[in-house]
Amino acid sequence: MTKRQPGGWDRRDFLAGAALLALALGVPFAAVKLSDLPADLVPTARQRQLMKEVSQLVIPRTATAGAGEVGTGDFVILALAHGLEEARAALLQDAPQSLRAHRRADGSLDQMRWLEAELDHRAGGDFLDQDAAARSAALGALDAEAYAHGADGHPWRTVKALVLTGYYTSEIGGSKELRFELVPGRYDPDLPVTAQTRAYSSDWTAVDFG
Amino acid sequence: MDFDAIVVGSGITGGWAAKELTEAGLKVLLIERGREIRHQQDYTTETKTPWDMPFRGEGDHELYAREYPVQMLNRHFNEYTQSHFVNDAESPYSTAPGTDFTWFRSYGLGGRSLTWGRQAYRWSDYDFRANARDGHGTDWPIRYADLASWYDHVEDFIGVSGAAEGLAQLPDGRFQPAMALNAVEQHVRQVMKDNWPERCLTIGRTANLTQEKDGRAKCQNRSICARGCSFGAYFSTQSSTLPAAQKTGRLTVVTDAVVEAIDYDPDNHRVTGVRYIDRKGGTRKAATARLVFLNAGAFNSVHVLLNSASEAMPNGLANSSGVLGTHIMDHANTLSAMALMPGFEGHTSFGNRPTGVIVARYRNMETMDGAGHSRGYSFQGGALQSTWTAGKREAGIGAAYKDKLQKPGMWRMVLVGFADCVPRASNRLTLDRRRSDANGLPLLNIDFAFGKEELAALAQAKADAAEMLTRAGGRVLMGFDRPGAGGTAIHEMGGARMGNDPATSVLNKWSQAHDAANLFVTDGAQMSSSACQNPSLTYMALTARACATAVSQLREGKL
Repeated sequence: MTKRQPGGWDRRDFLAGAALLALALGVPFAAVKLSDLPADLVPTARQRQLMKEVSQLVIPRTATAGAGEVGTGDFVILALAHGLEEARAALLQDAPQSLRAHRRADGSLDQMRWLEAELDHRAGGDFLDQDAAARSAALGALDAEAYAHGADGHPWRTVKALVLTGYYTSEIGGSKELRFELVPGRYDPDLPVTAQTRAYSSDWTAVDFG
Repeated sequence: MDFDAIVVGSGITGGWAAKELTEAGLKVLLIERGREIRHQQDYTTETKTPWDMPFRGEGDHELYAREYPVQMLNRHFNEYTQSHFVNDAESPYSTAPGTDFTWFRSYGLGGRSLTWGRQAYRWSDYDFRANARDGHGTDWPIRYADLASWYDHVEDFIGVSGAAEGLAQLPDGRFQPAMALNAVEQHVRQVMKDNWPERCLTIGRTANLTQEKDGRAKCQNRSICARGCSFGAYFSTQSSTLPAAQKTGRLTVVTDAVVEAIDYDPDNHRVTGVRYIDRKGGTRKAATARLVFLNAGAFNSVHVLLNSASEAMPNGLANSSGVLGTHIMDHANTLSAMALMPGFEGHTSFGNRPTGVIVARYRNMETMDGAGHSRGYSFQGGALQSTWTAGKREAGIGAAYKDKLQKPGMWRMVLVGFADCVPRASNRLTLDRRRSDANGLPLLNIDFAFGKEELAALAQAKADAAEMLTRAGGRVLMGFDRPGAGGTAIHEMGGARMGNDPATSVLNKWSQAHDAANLFVTDGAQMSSSACQNPSLTYMALTARACATAVSQLREGKL
């Protein structure tokens, strides 16, 4: 057995410590606090419902829950308001009227309002009143346009990026749909990919640079 | 005298100075401008998952744009680590017109030892002879032989994992077992070896333990080091030098204390101590000592010296040469190439290795084969698989899209070029006395630009990187030859350069001020050239060497 001096931790100590910390603090859950947003950015109930639905359409339920089910919609709204994915960058001067109509006070695009209007327009009415197939078709068409050649700055890309962030950094998305290992404890440099292989959401280099 | 020695700054070199001086029997005051950060107890986000964090680890970018506009550009800065970085709004600096410089800083106990990249390379005589060889800057007063045993000393204590390769330009150290290359990196290493025998890709030499050492556990392959590591598995002040210094019973640590100046006695030509601002109490205090070690970080050490101007030294302390603040450097770096690496779809890895790879310098050694430049460049990077974030760039919604993102993605290989930065008098630090910070101290002004040598080196690095990755079967997606802003390598150095001639340098070969023998500057400020590999190990070796000299001279009554 290896001699250890006080102050040195091993993996077992660490995991035990983390569990104790969680017990002491209660289960740490970082609630999304939309109520803290400035008044002009607080979403309506419909907007929250819409973003939940859109999140679920992007990442639906399969063997694991979908993005809407794990609270991604509210995360996206919060993240847009706080400038993640450069969501608060100023809208370009020559942006089309369909975008300029939805500017925030600071000159950035209010993606939430834009998306609401865009999807209602595509649905020819209330997007949320459409059946599932129609909603999926409308969003799929928007997605295809947003990723077409030359559509680099398309606002849907910002929203979708945050849907992915919201889902794969949630407990379900990060640790059930993908795998999560807080303390790998070792590095295996070359393993075969099998049918069971799943990506690790805790592969920080891949998350940052992949 | 209150103390035998005062050490200003508790980062990588300050911690070393405190350790070496206390272990030699000196009573030492270690002064840190930032808050106390206790090992283990204060690493508050270390065990957090993304779903524990208000912004899932991404952080509040609205806040960052307002208060951390520079620090947020650091690749290690995120919601978990933000408290280990300085608040730019509270601690501003100024830049000269045309200067684009990102100054990454950690003001807190341990300084940037908590957030550093941990790459630990020896320099070689290609580096220590560089200025003499091409005439830029001033010749180093030391050579590799002067430092070799001190590199041994430092590596033995901090623990560096790496592979011995027998390269003259990247001397081997006293390594713990190397971390492993993944399948793609192993392949690229072999292709380089087969096609260019002088080019060596090796695993990064990193101050992460692969074997337990002195009560520190080995690396757990989390690669979240900058949050702080309760395993003590990477070298930091907290994990290593501070406990060693505290164990002597001769160390006093004062935090939240901003040193504004060092006092100088013109009659004896000696410094007498420091004056500092107690940030919590809002009062000014002073401490005296027989020795002062300045380890505030390269640019802040220069700030202290410039701000210590006196009647006897009107241009700044230890600045009779007039070169204080000049010849600052940072590695010119850019993404030289990124390539998709097909053929490895059946391979994956487990665990987060906390280091990449390095391709050691191979230009301008025995043969001058640099295209428009006379120095070296190296590459750092590695091979990685993409994951869910790749989905942000791809069309798709629905179950098939979700299923695709569940699998590890394509391998890609990245080579980031680091070019030697030529020392230039025009790249300099001054004090902006028109503006002051929250402590009432003048702002540091940075005037910096890369020159044609760095641009030429990065152009050649881009071409080489693309050629190597293509030869290895890669499909190059992008590559750049323009450097990022100054400071992005986080290897800012120089400003109080070492040299033989007191008329053209600030420090002698012992890191000792020509103008005040009991003043030592042993952080990055002392560097006379930049090499093209990471400098921290060399700072540590120079610090340990300077401490031995200081103690010896003190005992001989010379100080």
